Amino acid sequence: MQQEVVLALLAKEPSQGYQLRTRLEEALGPLGEGLNAGHIYVTLGRLEKTGLVALEEPPPGGARRADRKVYHLTPAGQERVHEWLSEVSWPKPDLAEFHLKLVAAAQARLADPISMIDAQRRELLRRLRDAQRAAMEEPDHSGTALLAEGVVLRLQADLRWLEACERTWTGRKERS
Amino acid sequence: MVFLVIAAAATTLTVALALSGVTDKPYQQTRQATAGPDVVAVYPAQLPTGLSRRGPTLANPASLSAAPGVIAHSGPYPTVYSSLSYRGHTVDVIAEGRDETPVSVDQPKVTQGGWIGPGAVVIERGFADALGVHVGDNVDIGGRSFPVAGIAVTAAVPAYPSSICHITCPFPLRTSLTSGKGAPNMGLVWLTRPAVTGLASSGAPLAYLLNLKLANSAQAAAFAAQHPFTFTWQDVQSAINALIGIEQVALGVGGWLIGLLALAGLAVLIGRRMTEQSKRVGLLKAVGATPMTVAIVLLVEQLTLAVAAAAAGLVAGWLIARRLTSTGAGLLGAPGAPAISVSTVIIIAVIALAVATISSLVPALRAARTSTVSALADAPRVPSRRPGLIAVSARLPVPLLLALRQLSRRPRRAVLIAMSITVTVTGIVAILASHARAPIADLTIDNLKLDRFNELTAIITVMLVILAAINTTFIAWATAADGRFSSALERALGATAGQVTAGLSLAALLPALPGAIIGIPLGIGLYHLLASGTHFSVPPAWQLLGVFLATLLAVTVLTAIPSRFGARRSPAQILQTD
Amino acid sequence: MTSTRPVLAVSGLCKTFGSGAALVRAVDGVDLDVTTGETVAIMGPSGCGKSTLLHLLGGLERPSGGTIDLAGRPVTGCSERALAHLRRREIGFVFEGFHLMDELTAIENVELPALLAGPSPRAARARARELLEQVGLAERVEFLPSALSGGQRQRVAIARALVNEPMIVLADEPTGNLDSSATVEVLRLFDALHESGQTLVIATHDQRVAATADRLVSMRDGAFVDETKMTGGSRGDLAKLLGLGGE
Repeated sequence: MQQEVVLALLAKEPSQGYQLRTRLEEALGPLGEGLNAGHIYVTLGRLEKTGLVALEEPPPGGARRADRKVYHLTPAGQERVHEWLSEVSWPKPDLAEFHLKLVAAAQARLADPISMIDAQRRELLRRLRDAQRAAMEEPDHSGTALLAEGVVLRLQADLRWLEACERTWTGRKERS
Repeated sequence: MVFLVIAAAATTLTVALALSGVTDKPYQQTRQATAGPDVVAVYPAQLPTGLSRRGPTLANPASLSAAPGVIAHSGPYPTVYSSLSYRGHTVDVIAEGRDETPVSVDQPKVTQGGWIGPGAVVIERGFADALGVHVGDNVDIGGRSFPVAGIAVTAAVPAYPSSICHITCPFPLRTSLTSGKGAPNMGLVWLTRPAVTGLASSGAPLAYLLNLKLANSAQAAAFAAQHPFTFTWQDVQSAINALIGIEQVALGVGGWLIGLLALAGLAVLIGRRMTEQSKRVGLLKAVGATPMTVAIVLLVEQLTLAVAAAAAGLVAGWLIARRLTSTGAGLLGAPGAPAISVSTVIIIAVIALAVATISSLVPALRAARTSTVSALADAPRVPSRRPGLIAVSARLPVPLLLALRQLSRRPRRAVLIAMSITVTVTGIVAILASHARAPIADLTIDNLKLDRFNELTAIITVMLVILAAINTTFIAWATAADGRFSSALERALGATAGQVTAGLSLAALLPALPGAIIGIPLGIGLYHLLASGTHFSVPPAWQLLGVFLATLLAVTVLTAIPSRFGARRSPAQILQTD
Repeated sequence: MTSTRPVLAVSGLCKTFGSGAALVRAVDGVDLDVTTGETVAIMGPSGCGKSTLLHLLGGLERPSGGTIDLAGRPVTGCSERALAHLRRREIGFVFEGFHLMDELTAIENVELPALLAGPSPRAARARARELLEQVGLAERVEFLPSALSGGQRQRVAIARALVNEPMIVLADEPTGNLDSSATVEVLRLFDALHESGQTLVIATHDQRVAATADRLVSMRDGAFVDETKMTGGSRGDLAKLLGLGGE
């Protein structure tokens, strides 16, 4: 989970850690159940260190309890949120790693690249099946269905690329 | 296939036009070619005693040639009434004695062989055809043998099977000679003068024939009224027309029926060509052709095919028409003139042009207006939908189900099939009805005339049947081809090939059935409408039944052939080519 | 609920087109066993022969060699009539281009194989209506194909393939002409059919369709090259797929 997500969630109002977690779970639906709670606090700590969020002053005379900490955005934090919202970067797919995997295996004659590609295809197909099941079980237009659709489409694209890899590597093999 | 249809249509239309145009021109042409007279005087050598007291013209009929209004004449020629024998036939004839040199009025035009020479005879064309005599044969006239030098036509006297005696009879008649029209059919021959006088001297009754040309042909009737023993060229013409009678009508109507059939076939053809061309137009546009280019490309293609087929049809039609009109001989065909007139060629050419133009320009125009994309996408015409038929067909066995659905998809085809069958059956039944009338008095020559009539009608019947067969096959093929996708789908869904073929046959048979049923009374009615005056005759029931069953059988067989061919390919291949 | 005897047994199946230099081996020695209730997906690029294979299985095309057995009875070597009967009763075929009759309404299209097979028209109509309800087109039974969307037309085609309760349904590129949401409709339908125990063989190049199968066979140049058994997972894995839940 990127830091900026937590930052952006704070933009609505100053909140406690657990409130943020609740909001995350609501947004992700059932998928959010696997979220690690502690992870949020760690992220908040980091953000505090970099000066993007700050703790509210404790009420006078009371002890500061860890779970009562209320966080809010600093001006620097707000600026960062604005920046992040208007950024158009997209999560990077890791194609290069797979390609290098194949090349290394072929050069060192450790494994057959084509069987590696087939194995990867099978795995992706299984994931596709799962994602599709999930998409169909959820009500249409729910957040989960939308996410599932996204997974499906990306897997499709990756599978197409793998098919292209297979064609190329088969061709290389035949020529060598 | 397309070529065959257009050629067949052109052939039959040519014949039809030739037949319908023959009836009044030939006499005029003959008159011109032979310098026909305006008035003919035929008077017996022995004038009846009771009349000799009338004016000077009667005392000397030869002086008619100097009467006021007469500008030219030929004759008087001695003419005998004798009998001719040839191959067992004996017929009464009138023999004119002529000179070997040509004259300026009524010089018979020789169509075969040459003009008379000493000891030879020239026979009038209609008579020669009826007898079956040719140049070089020998005939026996009044006991003497004469070789036939030639065959000729004339406008002075009505051609066989009419004769002078239909108009005016200068000879004493044998009482046994009466035909249905009240006057005998006598043949006309030309001999040399000496030969005729020779015949007269051995007892044959003699008369004289004088041909007159007037300053004003229109005055012929008035002139003839003033002088006895004369008749006019108009009398000759009506004698011919009266005799043509049913034959003229038969040919005319036959021609129309054939023409209708041809048009039915053409209608289907044009419809299909238009659909085929739409897609090509889209392709042409897609590669950048302007609408003008598109139209020209299509037109040239279509035109070449249509013109070639039309030319073939004209030639075939000319050959057939020649056969038909030569059968009618001096009656129906002008001497030496071709059976087809310029106007016929023009009409056929126009029709061929029309077929080509409509087939090419309509899609071109349509495509010019629509976008290239939709022209390319050109879905074939969406079949029409008849919910009633669809619902009814569900309850029927499979072949009927398929047949009814096929009919509901393209109802106009069904109408065309019914129409074709109706026209054909009407024609055949009318011809049968005409043959069923009581035969005329049993004279040898009238049998010959009947044979000729039979030949005429036989040819018309054959043409009708052939054209109907071509039409039906074509429509069946077109329907099978258009419907091959549906048929393939039906087979894919579980219909056997046999059921599909049966369905297509039934789809043709179902409209053919009422067509044939209606055709029978129509044919009888048609005959009686045209042959007014003859008593009511109906072809025997077995003949009608025979025609009915034969028609249905023919339709079944003809439609089964193309659909059987279509069923050879596997359904998958047909469905996938989409 | 699978039985041990395969409902479809194919051995050494071949189909060639053309001759001499232009010889094309569309299907080149295919072996396949399909058990009852199984969904088999045949995947491959276009031109690999999967459509031809399906046409052979469906009795729409005669093989050049090999055997096909349907529920133990041989299909190859049947007469044309026997094949037609087969197409009516035992096999349901869903075509790539839907191939509905344009002049018939949805329900008339669906009942057609039943009318060809012989039950009474009323029974056929009732069954057609029932199937159209099952595929979710209950209120469009009287619509003409031109008034239906691509996905709806495909569902009509599927209903038509089911009308005679076939032993096996063959689908050729069922989502080939469909957009994304229509594809999902069809996938749901296939899923439902699978649940009800219908045997399905689907030829497709769409991985989404392939992913719904029990078994996935890859085809290239007329022959099978790979086979994958698709074991199921659970929904919880989706979180992992998304990269949620801890790093």
